[in-house]
Amino acid sequence: MFSQPKMNSSARTRLVLLALAAVFAGLTILFVFGSSGRPRLQNIPLVDTNFLNTATVRRSYADLVRDKEDLSDFDCYACHEKGKAPPLRFDTNQNIIVAKEHPDIVMGHGSHGRNNNCFNCHNETNLLALQSRDGRPLTFSDSPQLCGSCHGPTYRDWEAGAHGRTSGYWERSLGSINRKQCVNCHNPHSPHFPGRKPAPGPHLLHPPEVATATEPESHH
Amino acid sequence: MSTPTPANGMDRRSFLRTSAVLTTGLAALAASLKPLMEMNDFPTAERFMQKYYKEMTPADMDKVLKRITNEVEKQYGLRPHVRDYKPMDGVQYVYCLNLTRCIGCRKCVHACVAENNQSRNPEIQYIRVLKMEDGSLDIEKAEHDYDPEQVPEKGFFYMPVQCQQCKNPPCVKVCPVHATWQETDGITVVDYDWCIGCRYCEAACPYWARRFNWTKPEIPKERLNPEMSYLGNRPRRQGVMEKCHFCIQRTRQGKYPACLEVCPAGARKFGNILDPNSEVSYILNHKRVFIQLKEEMGTSPRFFYYFDV
Repeated sequence: MFSQPKMNSSARTRLVLLALAAVFAGLTILFVFGSSGRPRLQNIPLVDTNFLNTATVRRSYADLVRDKEDLSDFDCYACHEKGKAPPLRFDTNQNIIVAKEHPDIVMGHGSHGRNNNCFNCHNETNLLALQSRDGRPLTFSDSPQLCGSCHGPTYRDWEAGAHGRTSGYWERSLGSINRKQCVNCHNPHSPHFPGRKPAPGPHLLHPPEVATATEPESHH
Repeated sequence: MSTPTPANGMDRRSFLRTSAVLTTGLAALAASLKPLMEMNDFPTAERFMQKYYKEMTPADMDKVLKRITNEVEKQYGLRPHVRDYKPMDGVQYVYCLNLTRCIGCRKCVHACVAENNQSRNPEIQYIRVLKMEDGSLDIEKAEHDYDPEQVPEKGFFYMPVQCQQCKNPPCVKVCPVHATWQETDGITVVDYDWCIGCRYCEAACPYWARRFNWTKPEIPKERLNPEMSYLGNRPRRQGVMEKCHFCIQRTRQGKYPACLEVCPAGARKFGNILDPNSEVSYILNHKRVFIQLKEEMGTSPRFFYYFDV
């Protein structure tokens, strides 16, 4: 009456212990040789260091002069005659025709094409200088005053440091502030701020490429 | 009736069976601990016994900075310059961002990563640039993974969001161990050695500004910024929170933050609001300052968005 179930239970114990040993052996193999169970992350390429560049959008003539760089491209009187205002030519729509010797100049200042006269800003008798609306000669490094003669509110903001780029020290007693000029960002002939390719965005947890790349280990 | 039992109460067979199970069980247990072998970031006794930031004497801090310097050198092969910059007297930082000027180029995002030694793989970014339709301000519908050929796109504007350095910071209130607090100059900082990684602060922040190191941060040696600070950009460990700290290692030396320096459009402005001649004072006094983001949360950010016009 008692012996029969006891024999059965002994056989069952043996079976259970055997199964346990097998499971443990299996687990050992899995732990030692299997993957660690961590998700495989897609490698993120390092960002292009161009995106870390703090340089301004463009370098002005004044910058080139200050840094004592090659100014041969700006030798006006290699072609122009000294003391004589270069002639201006306009098409039938009163748009200025830029001489083919100045291929880099695209006239696009002002949305109505009204600021179409070189000598609104350039000094017609001295091409190495500018002139204000009231005829005062200005050097290229003083160009913000010239811009400010039309763009008053922006000039006011720029003077206060609220418009335009600054760099260096916010605490003036610890170091100097470097204030960039209008022409460091805006091309005076075509002042609209240029667009650009954006830097890479946030890395997604499940980027679309991962779905297409079939790696058996990524399915854990 | 049953098999004869030896004096010790166990026969040979059952002993073998039991020991087989025990051995395989132990082997499985040992094998399951294999990931521990890969761990190499065990806290040293020094780090384990380190005091709370606010209780450290200058001598304690010197020791800690030396330890960090050595640890970084050992890990990256580059000797850093680690310091603990204290807040300046009479300074309250304010950040202003010109929404009219931002072109959404994300240069600030990456200048921040480079300056502050965030993990590159996985990449942790403090700044998130939201792209929204002109005339709306529906953050729920904002897009942050835009990738067109050229920005700005017509009909959209861009709004970079980072830690707003709240005057009433919810993240500080929920921290159970006081590992994050607001300094006298308004910067909310994290002591990475005190953080237990519970992520309550991440949940409490209405601006999604806090980031968690889910895995061991990876920074290539050539991208490591050796100018470090204790509460700022020293390399973090796995399992701690981090966030924007207004580039504490720069701003507390009087410099502008890295995101401002790199912004090609000059949309970012930073300074001391207690100085009436600072750029930020001018902006708050004269410009159309439109929001503190999620003003209704009562967090009172030190980060302001403004417009031209």
